[in-house]
Amino acid sequence: MTMKSLLSGVSLALLLGCAGTAAQAQIPIGHLADYSGGTSDVGTPYGQAVADTFAWVNKNGGVGGKQLKIDTNDYGYQVPRAIALYKKWSGSEKVAAIMGWGTADTEALTGFLAQDKIPDISASYAAALTDPEGASGKAKPAPYNFFYGPSYSDAMRAMLIWAAEDWKAKGKSGKPKFAHMGANHPYPNAPKAAGEALAAELGFEVLPPLVFALTPGDYSAQCLSLKSSGANYAYLGNTAASNVSVLKACKTAAKTAGDAANGVIFPLRTAVAWGGNAPGMKTVMEISKMSDPTGKVYRPVHYIAAVCSAMYLKEALDWAVKNGGATGENVAKGFYQKKDWVPAGMEGVCNPSTWTEKDHRGTLKVDLYRSKISGSTDGDLNDLMTKGTIKLEKVKAVELPRKPEWFGW
Amino acid sequence: MNTQFLIQLLVNGLVVGTLYGVVAMSFVLIYKATQVVNFAQGELLLIGAWVCWALLARYEVPFWMGMPLTLVFMFVFGIAIQIVILRPMIGEPIISVIMVTIGLSTVFQASLKWIFGVNPQPFPRVFTSQSVSLLGLQIQTVYAMSLVVSVAMMIGMAWFFRASKYGLAMRATAFNQQVAQSLGISVKSVFAIAWAISATVSAVAGVVVAVVNGVSSGLSAYGIKVFPAAILGGLDSIGGAVLGGIIIGLLENIAQYIDSEYLHFV
Amino acid sequence: MATPSLIPAGDFRTSYAADTTIFPSSASRNAAIVGALLICFAPLVFTEYWLSILIQIGIFAIAALGLNILVGFTGQISIGHAAFFLFGAFTSAYISNNLPIPVFFAIPLAGVVTALIGLIFGVPAARLKGLYLVIATLAAQYILLDFFSRADWFSGGSVPASANPFSIFGYTFRGDRQYFYVVLGYLLVSYLLVTNLMRTRDGRALVAIRDHYLSAEIMGINLTKYRTLSFGLAAFFAGIAGALYAHYQLVVSNEGFGIERSILFLAMIIIGGTGSIMGTLMGTAFVVLLPESMEWISASLRGSAIDKALSLNTNITFLREIAIGLIIIAFLMFEPDGLAHRWRQIKTYWKLYPFSH
Repeated sequence: MTMKSLLSGVSLALLLGCAGTAAQAQIPIGHLADYSGGTSDVGTPYGQAVADTFAWVNKNGGVGGKQLKIDTNDYGYQVPRAIALYKKWSGSEKVAAIMGWGTADTEALTGFLAQDKIPDISASYAAALTDPEGASGKAKPAPYNFFYGPSYSDAMRAMLIWAAEDWKAKGKSGKPKFAHMGANHPYPNAPKAAGEALAAELGFEVLPPLVFALTPGDYSAQCLSLKSSGANYAYLGNTAASNVSVLKACKTAAKTAGDAANGVIFPLRTAVAWGGNAPGMKTVMEISKMSDPTGKVYRPVHYIAAVCSAMYLKEALDWAVKNGGATGENVAKGFYQKKDWVPAGMEGVCNPSTWTEKDHRGTLKVDLYRSKISGSTDGDLNDLMTKGTIKLEKVKAVELPRKPEWFGW
Repeated sequence: MNTQFLIQLLVNGLVVGTLYGVVAMSFVLIYKATQVVNFAQGELLLIGAWVCWALLARYEVPFWMGMPLTLVFMFVFGIAIQIVILRPMIGEPIISVIMVTIGLSTVFQASLKWIFGVNPQPFPRVFTSQSVSLLGLQIQTVYAMSLVVSVAMMIGMAWFFRASKYGLAMRATAFNQQVAQSLGISVKSVFAIAWAISATVSAVAGVVVAVVNGVSSGLSAYGIKVFPAAILGGLDSIGGAVLGGIIIGLLENIAQYIDSEYLHFV
Repeated sequence: MATPSLIPAGDFRTSYAADTTIFPSSASRNAAIVGALLICFAPLVFTEYWLSILIQIGIFAIAALGLNILVGFTGQISIGHAAFFLFGAFTSAYISNNLPIPVFFAIPLAGVVTALIGLIFGVPAARLKGLYLVIATLAAQYILLDFFSRADWFSGGSVPASANPFSIFGYTFRGDRQYFYVVLGYLLVSYLLVTNLMRTRDGRALVAIRDHYLSAEIMGINLTKYRTLSFGLAAFFAGIAGALYAHYQLVVSNEGFGIERSILFLAMIIIGGTGSIMGTLMGTAFVVLLPESMEWISASLRGSAIDKALSLNTNITFLREIAIGLIIIAFLMFEPDGLAHRWRQIKTYWKLYPFSH
């Protein structure tokens, strides 16, 4: 016990020392990351990208001459820890904004954010976060929640529209069957209601949803259920690790040739993937060099989406600093300033987004890509991408209409 | 009644159940011999799986050599755990020992995530053919292998306890430690060997699961499923633990069947 | 039982009543009162961050106290405590949201409802011993957790339920500085109640069951009744603590209260010393401060030479988890009787100084 109190005393002294030397001309930003919890497989590249982007911003002059002070914390996808961190960030040294992460904690923090006026740019794209005034009647007011990209519900709607067209294009008649698969958790459940409603509208037969956990494991039973119910299209709502487990198990159950993820459709948050043909890709590569000097590491789609989110925050901060200082309120106003907004240097990568006081749906354009796998996927991701064993090909860009009936859920 | 579906599920349940049975067997082994409730059983599976994966994927060792190396490593590892952590805890109340094994499971999980990363890794291909046709049902080769391996291990354990000298010594210690000690059996070595065997057998189960599903931290869930299996089968019976495991495997899949076919009130 | 602390010269009892006082000497009583008064000034002195830690310690100390009644004083085992904690949280949120009962009454009511649930699980558990009891409580944990994630009407399903802030007679307590007093109040009352329980007939019955249940039964103590009662009490305090937590966070969610939290509760009482009330508080403080101090160390290590040498960066979380696990194991191996015992040893050393042996 003596050793422990000695250690904590030393650490406290160190911490106080560090805090004391922190310069006044710095803008504090909170950053929630999941490097070790249930969504760490996608949390790690996203968090890395946020850290890289802000390091790049600081290297190139910061925001309005001030450096950004990013407080990155791995909260392991546990809501109580996120709330404790939030209390730290809304205390005496209030942050100007928070780069949030998961659905469960972002939804839990909505009320606090509105009360303390701190904007949260989350990696949770739940539609319940898009209604700033609660006007839709389907979500509680979330005036300080923002995210870049289409919401889960809108992405699911776009995929369903594609699926309906695909069914007709293949010349099949009758009602296609659709099933939602995901864990019993806010993140996969977010688009379930919206998706099933649109599916019914488009003429799908909606099958009962299947549940499988967020952790990777043995899901052959769920696959057998899926097969026996005869579903034609299934929406896998979990993160990469568990989705891959399901795909592998289902591949065996369905006896298809080729590797498990071949032919899977997924929405891309940005207009292009890594290495794609766009002027903005140069900026992204520069940012990537902040943590990968060789420039050879393949950055997954989440990395690029995170760069876009962080760059939007940076430009909102730019506006805030020029118009009254970097407080949470001004940063939120900064988000409303431009229409069809693409951050400088990110042309062709980030989709043009518009946020207004009444509607926080930034963009309704969903880029659907298909993964094409032409060989075995055992091996390093970098090699597979460079050799072309895994290819992402664009299928369709669906621009959803900004319907008020689809607002907030 | 969707019979085709049900039969597939039952086969699946049987395969998974024998794996549960094997893990439950190693759990009961430790409990019977040393009276320790091992909450870190799932992590032993995980360690075995990761070590084998590292040997095969990183060091390019062929499977027929990597597997025995893993087993030797786990044998030594089991003895090491018993000597370093559990021997000082002999005589402490059961709750403290449970806490120690729980602490061990935390340490193992975090260390493995550190060394091998959080992403699940596919296991390098071991078999040339993907599935085998048996009685008109498609079973993955790996599942068939796991059935064979599990049954072989159960037979091996049964023989060990019935016929070999060390097995007899372990049964004697499990029955009455003091009398066994008075007859010259080294209770300390019996404890160490019990842990070593349990670790090795769990590692085999871990590798089998890894070959099917890839290596990931989800393997430690097997450590929790061990409890109902052991309770169903009876804590003092190794054969019972096997039976308990099979029942749990079948029950899981039957529940999935009932859930998907009948239980939808929406 | 551990070594009884030496009574200083001149401190002898002449009546039975004097023998059963809560504080063994007037010095310790005064120290406790002064300590409680000093703590009342904490919100004026500490920052928000430290206050939130103190509030967490307070809330978990109440829950750990319940668990200590069950594990330390009655000799049972339970690894389902976190589920009762969550149950209290959801109940209190549900009551204050849906029924016209103010939060002030919702918290004790939630405690009572949780106690009832604890009694329901206690009835079968009272007949089990050893590993079977462990599994039964493990089952309770999973059953309750599953219930929370499926029962949308009760817990909001997978979206976190929201709870109202605490208010008395229309004055709403906002912020940690004010909520601190609520938690402090409940903490002091709970600890006094349990200390009192231990010197009554029922408390002695519980201790008798722990020490030698066969003799206890022979002496006429109804084992089933007291074991079930013990479960109920543990659940009651867990429920109160959970309700306090709900109105503190203003949001209740399933996350973070699975089996790991139950294990942490167990760690709190084992590190503090099973069977010791002051030990519960010390153990809780230790377990709450342990991950925080690891955070400080890792934050100070970030970017430094050691970080680059071991290439830690994002792996710092795992280092923290490993350190926590190792410290718990080390504690159990080298200090099995807990912090309370170590504190008694320190006091004895100073009492006998310089003649200690």
